[in-house]
Amino acid sequence: MASRDVVRYETPLSTAFKWLSAIFIAIYVVWTVLPIFIMFMSSFKDLLEAFKLPAVGDWGGIMVFFDFTPTTKHYYELFANLGFTTYLFNSLVAAGGSAVVSVVLGSLCAYSLSRIDFRGKSDLFFWIISTRMAPVVAVMVPLYWIFRELDLVGTLPGLILAYTTFNLPFAIWILKGFFDNVPYAIEEAQMVDGATRFQAFRAILPLVAPGIGAFIVLCILFAWNDYLFAAIIGSGGAKTLPAATRELVQPQNIQWGQIMAAGVVTTLPMMFLGLVIRKYLVTGLTMGAVKE
Amino acid sequence: MAKVSFRNVWKKYGTTPAVKDLNIECPDGSFLSILGPSGCGKSSTMRMVAGLEHITAGQILFDEKPINTLAPKDRDVAMVFENYALYPHKSVFENMANPLKLRGQDATVIKDRVMAAAKLLEISQLLERRPQELSGGQKQRVAIGRAIVREPNLFLFDEPIAHLDAKLRAHMRGEIKHLQRTLGTTMIYVTHDQLEAMSMADTIAVMHEGELQQLGTPREVYNKPVNAWVAGFVGEPAMNFVDVGLQDKDGKTYFIHPNFSIAVTDQQQHIIAAAARVNALRMGVRPDAMSISLVKPKHECITGKIFVTELLGGDMIIDVDLDDGSRIRVKTSTDFDGVEGQTCYMTVNRDKWHAFSKENGKALF
Ligand SMILES: Nc1ncnc2c1ncn2[C@@H]1O[C@H](COP(=O)(O)OP(=O)(O)OP(=O)(O)O)[C@@H](O)[C@H]1O
Ligand SMILES: [Mg+2]
Repeated sequence: MASRDVVRYETPLSTAFKWLSAIFIAIYVVWTVLPIFIMFMSSFKDLLEAFKLPAVGDWGGIMVFFDFTPTTKHYYELFANLGFTTYLFNSLVAAGGSAVVSVVLGSLCAYSLSRIDFRGKSDLFFWIISTRMAPVVAVMVPLYWIFRELDLVGTLPGLILAYTTFNLPFAIWILKGFFDNVPYAIEEAQMVDGATRFQAFRAILPLVAPGIGAFIVLCILFAWNDYLFAAIIGSGGAKTLPAATRELVQPQNIQWGQIMAAGVVTTLPMMFLGLVIRKYLVTGLTMGAVKE
Repeated sequence: MAKVSFRNVWKKYGTTPAVKDLNIECPDGSFLSILGPSGCGKSSTMRMVAGLEHITAGQILFDEKPINTLAPKDRDVAMVFENYALYPHKSVFENMANPLKLRGQDATVIKDRVMAAAKLLEISQLLERRPQELSGGQKQRVAIGRAIVREPNLFLFDEPIAHLDAKLRAHMRGEIKHLQRTLGTTMIYVTHDQLEAMSMADTIAVMHEGELQQLGTPREVYNKPVNAWVAGFVGEPAMNFVDVGLQDKDGKTYFIHPNFSIAVTDQQQHIIAAAARVNALRMGVRPDAMSISLVKPKHECITGKIFVTELLGGDMIIDVDLDDGSRIRVKTSTDFDGVEGQTCYMTVNRDKWHAFSKENGKALF
């Protein structure tokens, strides 16, 4: 990596800048972390306690926010009566399934694009990327129609297919960069050593593992957080967490406690995933980007 | 082990030819060196043998069997790549074990073979390391190790020691030659260093701009170069070239130059006579085929002015200016005490000089 210590000199301007950036970071942290924190707290509160707020300007009263008897009844309600076990399962299968399918197809395609020269290759590559240029809503209606004709609406395979459609170009795009960075000589050495072309391809997969890891995470995140596809393609039989959470907003009765709990259920696995693969993700995303 | 034959082999990248009409026979168990400057098509030739490039035209045969359409794995050759091409994510042991593993050998056999190869190359203590933890010389030995763990038809070594320092290179020259002799496997060794080719090969194929210039033993290539290009490329310090006129006098043919007029031998005279209508030639003399002195000898000699003297350990190289603006180099012993600007006299060993056509560079003798 190209980072190194830079010599710094103190000037009034740099001191001011240091303070400004500290303030900015503080605001930014509050801005991003506070909502998650409130969601987490509220999911353990009874409805009445959740709406106990201090008067405007009463900073001492902020403590009422922490003054509650913790309850897990919202979680119990979600999993025992509202079928969130199924929705959690659907989310996992849809996100994981599309990640696996995209990574298998994507790496094969990216490998070919990276290694083989054929006529119209750059056009093909551009076309693959360009499928991601249209906003999802623009293709939603025709896609829905196609999926309905194929009886894929409301099924998990349908949802996996829908996510794969949108993840695949991304997979090809990321992974091609990684394959481009692996010297072709390594495969040549493998083939001279006695490997078939496919064995040689498999042999270099460990070298693009950071890329594959990074991509799987992005792919899972996309599918996991998606609402649009889940609501339209998955509606009915393949309801995922975001779609199910939306249904907790009923016209006469918004289930704030359950919504907060559902939010926690949806967010936690991804935060956990992020923590586990954080190092991996950062090296992965930058490694493919720069050629040494 | 196999005999390798190139029959009218061409390689073109698009329309630019990299190898033109190559014909070489490399007998079973022999050491062939392909020698030529950068970009002359050495690696392309090698890669066609390994199956990494298509053969545009012609045939390559192992033991008289064409291998043009065989996949690399079915050719059973072992190659050491110009840039080593080690597997960065594997240990030295795994790197060397890879060819055996791909052939489905038992773990015990693999272990024995790798250990034996590692011992031979003196890298036994490095087996656990990754390639990035090795020096250039060690990487190169691992690459060679990966090639010698099995018994292939053929070894292909593509400038394997070009990146090493001079001392290690000299050491490895001996090692590789010894290895080839011990294993008895046919070897094609690519290099741009004429010293490597001269010291290691049974046969040298000299290439230039995709064309085979000369195929012969190191002695032949050195003593009887077929053209001025080969003569100039092989040998260090390089051969001196001087343009000379021809003159017949008293039934003898003389090389005429402002600085000298020397008769050729009778045999050489016949060759010149047989070549139709030449009146000018390019004379070539190696620096060690002349002797230099400060006193004028009685016989015919070249007169010149010392430009500079260089001491090279046990020898001395004297650069001498001639009147037509050319400069020649002479090798002599360190006793020579001429200084810059002095007039000197050089006697040529006429059995060891060469004459080349001025039009096409072809050697007359
Ligand atoms: N893949 C390629 N596409 C187009 N031209 C190529 C390709 N590979 C090699 N060439 C050209 O073919 C010629 C021969 O290349 P080659 O690699 O065989 O040379 P070389 O003798 O091995 O040189 P070096 O000593 O520098 O390794 C060069 O002019 C090179 O530019
Ligand atoms: Mg080369």
